[in-house]
Amino acid sequence: MNDQHPGKNPGGPAPDSDLLKRMYQRMALTRAIEQCMAQHVRNNRFSGWWHPGEGQEAAGIGASAAMRRDDYLFYQGRGCSWAIGKGMAPGPILGDLLGKPSGSTGGKGGGVPHWVDYAIGVMGEGATLGSVYPLAAGAALAAKQRGTDQVALANFGDGTAARGTFHETLVHAAAWKLPLIYFCENNEWLVGTPLKQVSPTENIADYAAGYHIPGVVVDGQDAQAVYTATAEAIERARAGEGPTLIEAKVFRKHGHYAGDPQHYRAPDYLDAYRDPLALLAARLDEDEASALWAQAEAEVASAYQAAMAEDDPAPDTIFKDLYYG
Amino acid sequence: MADTQTMADTQSITYNAAMGQALVEAMREDDSIFVLGQGVATGGWFGAEKGLADEFGTDRVIDSNISEAFEAGLAAGAAIAGMKPVINMGFGDFALIAGDEIFHKLAKWRYMHGLNVPMTAVIIFPIGTMNGAGPEHSSCTEVLGMHFPGLKVVVPSTAADAKGLMCAALREPNPVLFHSVNTLSFQRGDVPTGSDHFVPIGKACVRRPGSSATLLTYGSMVEPSLQAAGQLAGEGIDLEVIDLRSLVPIDWPLILDSVRRTNRAMVVHEAMKTAGPGAEIAAHIQEQAFFDLESPVLRVAGKDVPLPQHGALEALCIPSVAEIVAAGRQLCLG
Ligand SMILES: Cc1ncc(C[n+]2csc(CCOP(=O)(O)OP(=O)(O)O)c2C)c(N)n1
Ligand SMILES: [Mg+2]
Repeated sequence: MNDQHPGKNPGGPAPDSDLLKRMYQRMALTRAIEQCMAQHVRNNRFSGWWHPGEGQEAAGIGASAAMRRDDYLFYQGRGCSWAIGKGMAPGPILGDLLGKPSGSTGGKGGGVPHWVDYAIGVMGEGATLGSVYPLAAGAALAAKQRGTDQVALANFGDGTAARGTFHETLVHAAAWKLPLIYFCENNEWLVGTPLKQVSPTENIADYAAGYHIPGVVVDGQDAQAVYTATAEAIERARAGEGPTLIEAKVFRKHGHYAGDPQHYRAPDYLDAYRDPLALLAARLDEDEASALWAQAEAEVASAYQAAMAEDDPAPDTIFKDLYYG
Repeated sequence: MADTQTMADTQSITYNAAMGQALVEAMREDDSIFVLGQGVATGGWFGAEKGLADEFGTDRVIDSNISEAFEAGLAAGAAIAGMKPVINMGFGDFALIAGDEIFHKLAKWRYMHGLNVPMTAVIIFPIGTMNGAGPEHSSCTEVLGMHFPGLKVVVPSTAADAKGLMCAALREPNPVLFHSVNTLSFQRGDVPTGSDHFVPIGKACVRRPGSSATLLTYGSMVEPSLQAAGQLAGEGIDLEVIDLRSLVPIDWPLILDSVRRTNRAMVVHEAMKTAGPGAEIAAHIQEQAFFDLESPVLRVAGKDVPLPQHGALEALCIPSVAEIVAAGRQLCLG
């Protein structure tokens, strides 16, 4: 049951315009943080690496818009669209990136981000890629055992689809019909290696067939299409029909990390780029879209200033939260 | 034994059955506990989960594929979501297969997210030799848990402790690596009945009081150490034998009190010597109690080789009673 139509709306519920506006507003916040971080990393020292997600925002925004507040999200660390999409504010996100106590992790989860907010289902991040799969399955199993209709979503990149945990987890999730969504952001790169050099298939979604679950390819630059595909997968999962593998075809606009000279990329690679923010803006009232953008920029600018003004975490932070109590 | 002296009734059952009993009793009281592993619904490879599926059904007693990383990662995810998973990993050796899930996810999740929230998960690692199980099914991997802060590490040496530590682990708001000892699986002991038999995690106990030297041990080496102490008693050497029971946290106060009294210490374990638990214990003792010591802290430990498949060769790799006796003499007579 592989239904793969790149770029086409795979059907299911259409988002209403309030939803479009909310997605646009959150995508604008995400983009404003991207721009803020690009500048910050250029002008300041930065602990760890910032992995820019600019150009890829529609995937996390569209998919998380289809999730409920109490659904479990386990994301991979490019950009910040998932955390913002799930409802986190720029303050705690920038706080973490700048290593400040106002961050959601109290400044511990800087470079590779570990944004967390259990109250809205942002469950955190494992920076060893591929850790999302079994963790999300554990949360999905928890939901199933408690008899709630929550779902869990595991977000990962195309390169990370090769991890053994992808298979180990999906075998069980498919057999047990766990309420689990596998959501791949395929930007066709793992650092500087093109996916096609190391993948036997063009689509990651092709793997779904082996597990007898639906594999869906969706235009990842189009938040509305991503929303629709994800909403459908979530509906199946809530109905007890098990996992879906969604593959969003996305575009990595910048380097793997901020500062990556990208010698490995063709000089004209940006010709193929379609801006997901512009794509969504075209479906909104123009004035409304520009007002939302201006708001987002202002909100991020003030969150950035507030975070920059903070002191670093207290030294005793290093001994905190190791054990409960 | 001093610590299990209790008013409660006792019952003679095996070490593995005692672990299983703790599980059954806790699962009756707490819906959020579930058990998962290879063959757990059919009684597990080592029988500790026998009867669980009959009572609790296969929704709470779940057989998995051969997928150790998945099993441990699922435990982390379920614990993050507020459940209390118990995973039987089959062999301690497989800790390495699930290394990311155990030592990064279970150990570090709360720390790296700045969260002070409970996270209960019990990972059962059967450890140690069992007469020719070979180099990849006999390892003592408990030291790994000591090197990755965020986990608690226990190794019971008696049936009563197997139950008592399991009772404690199931109520512990931190992930526990629960090492069961393969050679003790079917050894019987008097085990208190009832679900309130707790052996607190982090508390060692004196198995044999003595005044000549302190012997620190745990798990499979408690019994041989007691035998060695018995032999040495005939030579006028009176060893105090301490069963550590927990390696994280480790009961430094009890250890140091004893060493300051006896002025001599040795560590005995089946795990390999180099960078094994005894290395840490010996280093800590000399840091804290150097001027109380009459002689160097000794270690009697597994040989630094992969364990041979051949039973007779394997036996040469782990400490014997004779080696412990010899070390005891060296420690006390110089
Ligand atoms: C287990 C593991 N291996 C390698 C890395 C280093 N690493 C970080 S990001 C990355 C590329 C991941 O590619 P992909 O999954 O396609 O995500 P993308 O970077 O394209 O968003 C690598 C290799 C890591 N963090 N974890
Ligand atoms: Mg990629």
